[in-house]
Formats: sequence, structure tokens, C-alpha cells
Amino acid sequence: MPARKTLILVLLIFALNLLAASPARSGEPVAVIVNRDNMVGNLSPDEIRKMYTNNTLNWSDGVPVILYDLSVQNQLREAFSSSVLGKDAERVAEEWAHLKITNQAKNPPVTMKSEALIIRRVSTERGAIGYVSLSAVRNNSDVRVIYTIQ
Amino acid sequence: MRRNAKTTALLLMALCFLWAAPSKAGAADERLDRLEQEMQELKKENTEIKKRIGNAETDGEELRHNMGLLSKLVDVSGYADAEFVFTGQQDEHNKFRVRHLSLFFTKDIQKEWKLFTEIEFEDAPRIESNPANDTVAKSQGTLFVEQMYIEYHPYMNWDVRVGRYLTPAGIWSIYRYPPYVPTQTSPLFYKVIFPEVADGALLRNSFNLMDSVLDTHLYVANGSGNPGNTDRNQNKAAGARVNLDVMHGLSMGASFYGEKDNQDIRRASYGAHLLYNRANFKLQTEFVFRHNNTSGGINDRGLYAQLSYDIKNWTLAGRADWYDKNDKVSKDAHYRYTGALNYHFAHNVVGKVEYNRNEFADRSVRDYNEVIMAIVVAIGDL
Repeated sequence: MPARKTLILVLLIFALNLLAASPARSGEPVAVIVNRDNMVGNLSPDEIRKMYTNNTLNWSDGVPVILYDLSVQNQLREAFSSSVLGKDAERVAEEWAHLKITNQAKNPPVTMKSEALIIRRVSTERGAIGYVSLSAVRNNSDVRVIYTIQ
Repeated sequence: MRRNAKTTALLLMALCFLWAAPSKAGAADERLDRLEQEMQELKKENTEIKKRIGNAETDGEELRHNMGLLSKLVDVSGYADAEFVFTGQQDEHNKFRVRHLSLFFTKDIQKEWKLFTEIEFEDAPRIESNPANDTVAKSQGTLFVEQMYIEYHPYMNWDVRVGRYLTPAGIWSIYRYPPYVPTQTSPLFYKVIFPEVADGALLRNSFNLMDSVLDTHLYVANGSGNPGNTDRNQNKAAGARVNLDVMHGLSMGASFYGEKDNQDIRRASYGAHLLYNRANFKLQTEFVFRHNNTSGGINDRGLYAQLSYDIKNWTLAGRADWYDKNDKVSKDAHYRYTGALNYHFAHNVVGKVEYNRNEFADRSVRDYNEVIMAIVVAIGDL
């Protein structure tokens, strides 16, 4: 009987876990963008997550990855965090804060105040990656959309 | 004749009218075309102006962003916490505690060089001298340079640190700051089996292993109890930590620390850790073991497992904790069971309520309960 109860408890925790992991949907599609000279093809959410969690530090041609983020309160960041990183933006921010405060972060994202700034940085830095609303880069030839979150 | 002339005049007028009518219509079309062209040009100009205004706004924003970064001569961050402790521990009283004020100062000296310091004020320290003879009249609390090192980081995947750093061992030794952990108490073996800090040199390196990342720490240090300039023996301690991100959210690793201490006792500490951190669910566990090469060959060891779950602004956590300071004596074990509830007022303000049940294998030591209520803030734009 205790084994059965334990099993039910474990299953319940995992069910809650899966529920929490399902991405939050926001109205505006989010575009993950890179510099137009970046030779990378489309990336999977897992590959993007690896960059945003410092498991991938360089692009395949050796250029260091430069990560851009929006502020914690931004709706797009929430959508990006939930969909790609599988966590609330606030929790991700706390984890980065813990890594930064302990000086263990290898390549923390740079937080920018606006999408326009991210577009500008990504269009001028070859190793940059960021995310903005899709409509903001629809006709921009300086950046390439490598993944879209609907 | 006159009639003919009249008819001819009428005919001529009709012809003139017929000739003039299409030419008037052609002029109107031309004017319309010109107007349309002008409108297109105005539209184009309008788009250009809008683009320029947008660029000017972005320029201004970038300037403000860069000015903000420039104005940070030294990046200051940290945390502070205050708590109230209800305790059933023998000879202890319920109390308010101004527990920590920890300040981190980070300065990027050059592109590849950084200075990192952490100054900790614990229990609101106070040092007061006796003016008559300059002796210390009163001292309270702890003032501690917990970290101070110079870092050289030519690449993102490796760096060298020289100075005082947190001993890289397991999880809690590095990742244990109050705003980011659910409990105010630490596992029982913390600071005991591996020292809290090490004075020496540390090499951090990250390797890619297939689809995973292996993080390594290798270091040499004075050894525990030998801070700053007071190394009381010729021996140096050596240690290592490895951590492998096995898959998304799951990492595990091992730690080692070996030294010959000031009493010439060789001590070797070993640790193993596992972390599962996915979505809002976090499980972390560590097992540590130390062999002390005394005449009897005493071992001390500890273990904890902590489970936490985040629901919106709330964090629920539970931890089971065990430390045995001498495996040759059966009554030296200490057990602690912790339940905690955190409320995140913001991502940098946390309220905590924590319950601890402490039990001792030694029947002469009274078991006790403890409740801690704390408010914790993180400082700085992290």
C-alpha cells in the first residue's frame, strides 16, 4: 500500500510538472533572430535553449554567441521563456541572478530595454541572437528569423 | 450664300469644340497622374521620415543604455535578510535576527580581467574600541571577506581565479544564497566536510561532450583554517569538482577535497550530487563523506535531499537532512526535517516561513522544533 501511494504521489508530481512545462501562449508571434551573415539554418527550440542556458557557447563556425533578452516584465520574454526554456521568465531571471551573484555564469544574456535595440544589436553583431515580435522584423533584411513562436 | 456661310461657321465651331474636348480631358488625366505621383513621393518621404524618427529614438535609447552601463563604475549587487526565530532548542531564545547583509562588488578591469569581491556582514557586526587604550571594548557579529579574487577569462569556456573563492563542491557550497534557495537553514554538513572558502588558485573549464557539457573546477589552496596570511603549515590542499549536464534539466557530478591540516591529520572529502531542475520542479540531493586519518580513522558523512515546486508566486519545499560526525559512534547522528513555504513578492523580494524538526541519535540531547520567518531581498540590477 505505501508503495502504491508513493507511485501515485510521484505520478501526480510529474503530471503537475508536465502541466507547468506546457508553453504559455501570447497573442503576438515571437521571432528568434540572428544576424543576416550568420550561416546557421533554422534552429530547433532545444538548440536555442542550449544557447540560453550556456550549454552552447559558440556558433558552429566558432563565433561566440551573444545572447539578448528583454526585461522580465516584457510579455515577449514571458512567451519566449515559457515556450523555449520551459519556465516562467521570473524563475529564469532568478536562476541567472543566482549564477551571476556567484560569478558562475559563463555567458549571461544582455538585457535590452526594447525590441528595436535588440534588432539593432543583432543586425550589427555576427554572433548575436535575440527574440522580438515577428511584425517588427518582417521586412528587415539585416536579420534572419530562425525560429517562430506562434 | 449667307446661309452657306452660317452653316460653315457652325460646322467650324462644332469641329473646334470636338477638337478641344479631348485635349481638355487629356490635361485633366495628366494632372491626376502628376498628383498621384506627388502623393506617392509624399508617402515615400513620410516612410523615410518615420524610419528616421524610429532610428533617432533607437539611437537615444541605445545611448541611454550605454550611458547606464558606463555610469556603473563598479557593479554592486548582493542580498540582505532579516528573520524571526521561534526555537525550542535548549538554552536558546526566540529572537529577531538581522542575519545577512552581503555586498558583491564586480569590476571589469579589462576585457579579460575582472575583480570579484563579496563582503558579508552577519548578525549586524559592531566593533567598538576603548578610547583609553585602543583595545576592543565591544564586538558583535561577523564581518567577513567571503570572496575576493582576480579573474582572468580569455574565453567563455575557461577562466582562472586567484584569491579567495567559495570552495567548489557539490551544489549547496556554490548555489546557496538566501534569495534563491527556499530555506534559511543550510544542510547540516555544509561548511563542515568541505570548507566554506578556499584561499588559492582555481581553474574553471567547460568541455562539450557530445550533446552535453562537462563543467570542471580544479584548485589548490592553503587548506581549511588557514585564511589570508596565516597559513600555519607547509601543506597545500587540492580539490576538484565535475558537473555533467546529462540532459535537459538533469545534471550530476562529484567533488573531492584533500588536505593535511594544521594538526598533520590527512583528510580526504568526497561528494556526489544530483540536480533535476525542469519546469517548476526541482530536486537536489548531495551525499558527502570525509575520511579523517586520525589514530582511529574516523569518518564523518552527510546527506540531504530537497524537493521544491513553484506555483505562480509560491514555492513549496521539503528537505530531509542527516549528518553523522563520527561513524564509529552510533549516537552522533543529527537528523533534520524541513518544510518551507516561500512567497515571491517580486523576483527579488521573498518572504519565507520554515519549519525544522531536529532529532538526535544521542538521547541526552533534546530534540527540538524551530520556526523561522524571514524576509529576503536581492540587491542590484541582476
